[in-house]
Amino acid sequence: MGLLQGATELFPVSSLGHSVIIPSLFHWGFKQSDPTFVPFLVLLHLGTAGALLVLYRVEWIAIIRGFFTAAVRGRISSEPERLAMLLLTGTIPAGILGVYFETRIKSLFASPYVAAGFLVVNGILLLGFELLRRRAERRAELHSKTRVEQEQSFAEAERISFRAAAIIGACQALAFLPGISRSGVTIGGGLLAGLRHQEAARFSFLLATPVILAAGLVEIPQLLASGVPIAEYLAAAVLSGIAAYASARFLLRYFRSGRLDPYGYYCLAAGLVSLALLHFGL
Amino acid sequence: MKSNTFAIGLGVLGIVFVIIAVLYALGVLQLFASTTSGPHYKHAILFAVLAVASFVAANFARPKMA
Repeated sequence: MGLLQGATELFPVSSLGHSVIIPSLFHWGFKQSDPTFVPFLVLLHLGTAGALLVLYRVEWIAIIRGFFTAAVRGRISSEPERLAMLLLTGTIPAGILGVYFETRIKSLFASPYVAAGFLVVNGILLLGFELLRRRAERRAELHSKTRVEQEQSFAEAERISFRAAAIIGACQALAFLPGISRSGVTIGGGLLAGLRHQEAARFSFLLATPVILAAGLVEIPQLLASGVPIAEYLAAAVLSGIAAYASARFLLRYFRSGRLDPYGYYCLAAGLVSLALLHFGL
Repeated sequence: MKSNTFAIGLGVLGIVFVIIAVLYALGVLQLFASTTSGPHYKHAILFAVLAVASFVAANFARPKMA
């Protein structure tokens, strides 16, 4: 489960959806209704957040420093300062929606059937984002250029507007629906805002870190009190972190010229196959 | 939008958020919480972040001397 969660959290294929569907398909002993299931997933998320902190450690130091400098001065005068304020702007709507709606939505939709259905929706969304991106490329007459040149014509994360950052942040709430990928909708939102694929992924990963970290740290007392095998769970969190680190490195390299299409097709196929398998009880 | 009135408004909003954060942390406030007793740290952290954001926005909205 640790490897699965870590690998799927950053890929735009919904870790929650996979965490709900795969144990059901393979008859693993995880009960989604169990009170320790969500804290367990949160602990795995902590592993992912740790991996992202390690990956972006230099950038986070610059962002934190930039935040305090800009906050005290009351003015933005460098790219890390702007990025810090963009991340704060994107984190607030995600935080509000997460605190007030996450548990209710997750418990309402924690069914393998629903997760498989939303995985199909996630696939359609990813393909839709790429369709709109191709349209933007055609409008900018970039079709004769190579993929890397096309990507260079789009913006870096620091250039995004504050309104776009808030909308992308709010889109993270869609990931409370099992099957809808947090990184998928935020990368897609970044693409619609005119970012390069790689920059959209970077912004998505940076945006996810504080929310995942805060949600994870808050759940730790509940996890400790629930009497679960904490050593096994921690080992799973470490595995999740390793898988997430490898996934993030791969994705950042892939998105230099790659698109969301393969993940969109994967989600469509995985969702439809899962629905069939669940329906026929295989 | 830079004006002293707007900046003061955001500062006051920040103070309100701090009070709400403390009330959630102490378990006094149970509004929209999943359980009806005990402290709600997630809500408290959220309002603490909102308070910080309000104070930062207030500082940005304050007219600066040239």
